[in-house]
Amino acid sequence: MIEASFSTTRRARRGMLREWRLHALSVFSLAVAFVCLGAALLVVTNLRSIEERWAHAGRASVYFKDGATQEDIDDLKKALEKVPGVLSVRYVSSGQARGDFGKAEVTQKTELASLPVEAFPSSLEVEVRPDMSDAELDATVGKLRQIPAVDDVETYQVWTQRLSKLVRGGVTAAVLLAIVVFTSVLAVVGSTIRLALQRRKTEVEVLKLVGATDRFVKGPFLLEGSAQGAMGAAGAIVLLAVLFFVVRGRLDGELALLVGVEPSFLPWHVALGMVLTGGLLGMTAASLGLRKLVTV
Amino acid sequence: MDEERAFKPMLRSGTRFTRDAAQRPVLMFEDVFKSYRAGSPVLRGMNLIIERGEFVFITGPSGSGKSTLLRLLYRSERVDDGRILFMGRDVARLRDDSVPFLRRNIGVVFQDFKLVSSWTVFENVAITLEVIGVAPRLIKTRVGEALERVGLTGRGGDLAGVLSGGEQQRVAVARAIVGEPALVLADEPTGNLDPQLAIDVLGLFEEIHEQGTTVLFATHDRTLLDQRPRRVIVLDEGKAIDVPTGVATAEDSPYDNELPL
Repeated sequence: MIEASFSTTRRARRGMLREWRLHALSVFSLAVAFVCLGAALLVVTNLRSIEERWAHAGRASVYFKDGATQEDIDDLKKALEKVPGVLSVRYVSSGQARGDFGKAEVTQKTELASLPVEAFPSSLEVEVRPDMSDAELDATVGKLRQIPAVDDVETYQVWTQRLSKLVRGGVTAAVLLAIVVFTSVLAVVGSTIRLALQRRKTEVEVLKLVGATDRFVKGPFLLEGSAQGAMGAAGAIVLLAVLFFVVRGRLDGELALLVGVEPSFLPWHVALGMVLTGGLLGMTAASLGLRKLVTV
Repeated sequence: MDEERAFKPMLRSGTRFTRDAAQRPVLMFEDVFKSYRAGSPVLRGMNLIIERGEFVFITGPSGSGKSTLLRLLYRSERVDDGRILFMGRDVARLRDDSVPFLRRNIGVVFQDFKLVSSWTVFENVAITLEVIGVAPRLIKTRVGEALERVGLTGRGGDLAGVLSGGEQQRVAVARAIVGEPALVLADEPTGNLDPQLAIDVLGLFEEIHEQGTTVLFATHDRTLLDQRPRRVIVLDEGKAIDVPTGVATAEDSPYDNELPL
């Protein structure tokens, strides 16, 4: 058994080395296909991170009507500080809100910088526990909205819902892309193995004449198909990683500021899954390509 | 599972055979029919018995069924009717997954050598042992011995594709004998060689035979039949006819017009 495994590995290595151009072309084609899939997974992974971050932003902004008195605001602030799950409550007056906005906008010299103070309603910025459930937050928000002095309560759930839709769309696109990639892997590896089989027809004939079983004959081809798939996927991950870190190096600060999350590369288990899937697909494709093994 | 499928008995020449097995013919053809086209059978109820340790020339004109007979033996072809008993087992009725185990007991040498040109001489010979799972160290020893027997000592590292025709055929012979099969089949092994090389290669088969291996040597080259007084079987009209020594090649042989010279 061990000898047979060694023999299979040795013959597969020999086959791949002797026909390295054919195999390199196949691995390159597979890497291109897997880069597309990997890029889609990378986008989905980062959208998920943003969704996760925003879903647990742990913030709510309570905006007051123009006629709200300072007493109303102070009462609500004290009441909110006693609500379980609320970590802190900070009052932001119209002037402060205008000032904060101005700091960012003045430097950019846009027309927005000249907006009047009245355009910025006063608010209470409520920080809640990050692990507070949506239901608990909804219940608190519902109660806050019933208070006459409160104009609106912003919890960022709408943004989270929009992001969720985007993630679902991304997942669907990734699944469709995966189907295309898997089909191309089957086609590329299957064709390569059929070609390799044709080129090694004499070798197969000889093996069968000296009493090799079909399993013995097919073993190296299956291993070669598997190696092609795995190497294609691994190559794609390396390529994506290089591109990712180059791009992140240039946009890191801006992206983090924009979405509140630092972009991250594919988690190791996703990368490993891609390589294993590539290997498995390659082996399946080789197996399909070998259905009509040379008969002697 | 492999054990169940295995072609039994796995006898090697000169070893591990019982008294019963030793007394039984190694090969029997019983009423074997084979045709590739309807109405023109190549073998028509052929009967033939080969005893253990015999050296037999199979001869006849092109198309007489020499190669077919050998192909039926190593199950590259199936009989239409009849039985072929190899060491007591009916080859014709072996399951497909048992065929590899049958072939491990038969060494075959072809006219076109059937070597993998991109492999070395060593690799071409060693594959027979790799298939049956022999340890690499033992493979090295046994391949070395086989190459020595065919006169190719020290040539193991050469690529098979760069050897001369005679050398390639020697490699093919080494591959056929390295597994110590019970039977060696040679299908026109000298067809691509010049007369002197052909006699040399025949000499190799003689040596193999002297070690106790049964050899079936198919040829239409009459000069080879003259080399040694061996049993000669002429395939004629789809049947095997045992010809007394010397008759097949005699001037007034009744098979004279059958043998292309």
